[in-house]
Amino acid sequence: MGNQQPVKTAASAPARKRKIGNPINNEKTAGYIFTLPFTFGFLMFMVVPMAISLYYAFCQYNILQPPVFIGWDNFAKMGSDAIYQKSIGVTFYFALVSTPLRLIFALFVAMLLLENNKLSGFYRATYYLPSIIGGSVAVSVLWKRMWATDGTINRILGINFPWLGDTRTAIWVLIILAVWQFGSSMLIFLSALKQIPQSLYEAAMVDGANGWKRFWKITFPLLTPTIFFNLVMQLINGFLAFTQCYIITQGKPMYSTEFYTVYMYDQSFTYYNTGYGAAMAWVMVLIISAVTAVLFATKKFWVYDGGL
Amino acid sequence: MRNLKRGAAAALAAAMGAGLLVGCGGASSGTTSAAAGGSKTSAAAGSSTTKAASGSSTGDANMVFAWWGNQTRNERTSNAITKYQEQNPGVKIEGQFSEWNDYWQKLATNSAGNALPDIIQMDYQYLNQYMNTGLLYDLTEFTKDGTIDTSKWNQNMINAGTMDGKLVAVCAGINAPALVYDKAITDKAGVTIKDNMSIDEFIEASKKIYETTGYKTNIQYGTAQEIFSYWSRADGAILFNTGKVDATAENLAKYFKIYEDGEKDGWMLSPTVFAEITIGSVEQDPLVYGDNPENQSWCTFCWSNQYVAVLKAAKEGQDMQMTTWPSADPKKSDFLKPSQFFSVSSSAKDPKAAAAFINWLTNSEDANNILLGERGIPMNSDIADKVSAQLSENDQKTYTFVNTVVAKNCSDINPPYPDGYTEAGKALNTILEAVCYGQETAEQAGQDLVSQGTAALAAKASAK
Repeated sequence: MGNQQPVKTAASAPARKRKIGNPINNEKTAGYIFTLPFTFGFLMFMVVPMAISLYYAFCQYNILQPPVFIGWDNFAKMGSDAIYQKSIGVTFYFALVSTPLRLIFALFVAMLLLENNKLSGFYRATYYLPSIIGGSVAVSVLWKRMWATDGTINRILGINFPWLGDTRTAIWVLIILAVWQFGSSMLIFLSALKQIPQSLYEAAMVDGANGWKRFWKITFPLLTPTIFFNLVMQLINGFLAFTQCYIITQGKPMYSTEFYTVYMYDQSFTYYNTGYGAAMAWVMVLIISAVTAVLFATKKFWVYDGGL
Repeated sequence: MRNLKRGAAAALAAAMGAGLLVGCGGASSGTTSAAAGGSKTSAAAGSSTTKAASGSSTGDANMVFAWWGNQTRNERTSNAITKYQEQNPGVKIEGQFSEWNDYWQKLATNSAGNALPDIIQMDYQYLNQYMNTGLLYDLTEFTKDGTIDTSKWNQNMINAGTMDGKLVAVCAGINAPALVYDKAITDKAGVTIKDNMSIDEFIEASKKIYETTGYKTNIQYGTAQEIFSYWSRADGAILFNTGKVDATAENLAKYFKIYEDGEKDGWMLSPTVFAEITIGSVEQDPLVYGDNPENQSWCTFCWSNQYVAVLKAAKEGQDMQMTTWPSADPKKSDFLKPSQFFSVSSSAKDPKAAAAFINWLTNSEDANNILLGERGIPMNSDIADKVSAQLSENDQKTYTFVNTVVAKNCSDINPPYPDGYTEAGKALNTILEAVCYGQETAEQAGQDLVSQGTAALAAKASAK
């Protein structure tokens, strides 16, 4: 009886206030107020601009003059735009090559860092660093200098190869930079690796499984949900890569490194074909949606979803 | 979720531009041009009298002045702003500078956000576009009320900045195409460079220099629309005219052939060099940037007002001289050009204060003693004489070059560049890249430029 008394009071107080019509104390109202900053930002900086860009995609628009509705013309133009098609090829190549390489590298480093010793915290922070700074303009500029004909890489190798000037190698300069930014995937792998119960390994060792077998029979299957997550996220990042290309190569040479986003940016802000740029952006939305949908469709074939 | 990501990418792209903007801002106090929404043309014009009145009586104004340029220009212009602020307490001018390409992207996004800088450095190439869309303020009222004194200005340059009877752009300096070369190299090669060379003489010189010293030649790789336009003038054609390419495929093929042969024979700089530098930056021009003859050019095709910047970027032992761009017919090809303009944007908060500052920049000795003709020869003849008298020997070369070499042997400038010029220019450089990489023949290139250039120009012309 003595226990129930305070509960009753607490329950009846808001009830009374609701009756006299003060919505401020309503729990739902409080929730809405707390989410207001996000909701406002989401609407103003995401939903509204996207709606506007969808409209521009069907317009002839050059920023300086009001948009004129032209229907599907912008989308039709993509069919005859050779540079556009080239940029799609380059972007797919970049995303599909750099993402698996990055994940393999991240998993490799994560397994090395799994050992706990005095310095492991330091190492983890150090290896994460490229992810924080790798997308920055400063690192891109540094990277450009390193791969120049008279840059560090050639000095170390003792050769004089124009990495950035050759249509076959320029894209790889960007891919290697992307692989180097493996930190966030590495951290996710690291925490997933720690979740795997040691007892499984012990049992396998008793049964005589070697390290290679233990990796493929225990570690890899149990990591597949994490690999799937990383793959989806990193692939999307790959399709949306911008800074590296914009700063380092600007699509040179011969558009062999022209990223989709950079071409979109050029169309929008250099040639003032902003309607066309908006249309390109929406096609990219469709491409990424399709790629992600395909990935999810394959999930049931290789991702382990059993409970542990 | 994917949509959010895509939106984030677009935001990132915009943030990139903004980041560069902030990164390049001069000795700014941290204010940005986007602070105030900026009023529409009519509103600004309507309230300009009251604003201007209060502006001149109290002398208070806050303005943003944006320009593109090089290290020399940035320093001198910032110093000039400081001087103006000392003389006019209460006036605050924030300088924003960037490289050529970033500048125009920034300006376009600013205009979309109705937040153009109050004072804009404008170029002949973009004048048409910005004027036609009503983004520039008509300064005629200020020439009438005496805020701007035009009495000593060169009439041709006033005309160049006047459209539909409105003075929308004030010439910041007169310049001319200039071939700047390292005389130390040409002397070593035993080659004499003279004014008004023909294209053949230039090629001969380039070959000889390559054979004797190993230094190569760069003919505006990446910005070749200027030299192609120059050469086309000798054929009596405006390369990129409104709605179409005027030059013939045969003539253009002839010019592409120079590059094709140059790459084959080795005297032309390899296109791979340009993948490592920022094209259009004086400091990174192969004339001054390379570290060995393989990636260095003995000359650069630039503008007479850039001579000062080239000198500043030059390395120890380089002896920079200036001559005309080679052409089959120098008199028909060469021209005097307003190097750039100062314009006031129609969304300027205080157009009168902006006009007063432009007047000070163009007509005062104080300003020009600091600027020293870096933007080109002042169009105010009195100022030009006074500035030239106190210039160093090297700077005076620019004056002599424009006034005696070019002015005596040139024709009228092409009309302001049409809409689509940027895109057509990009098409030209893309085709040129293919030629230099050996992926396309000069003959094919000539035809491609006519069709692609015309497509780009026609698309914009029909959009009007």
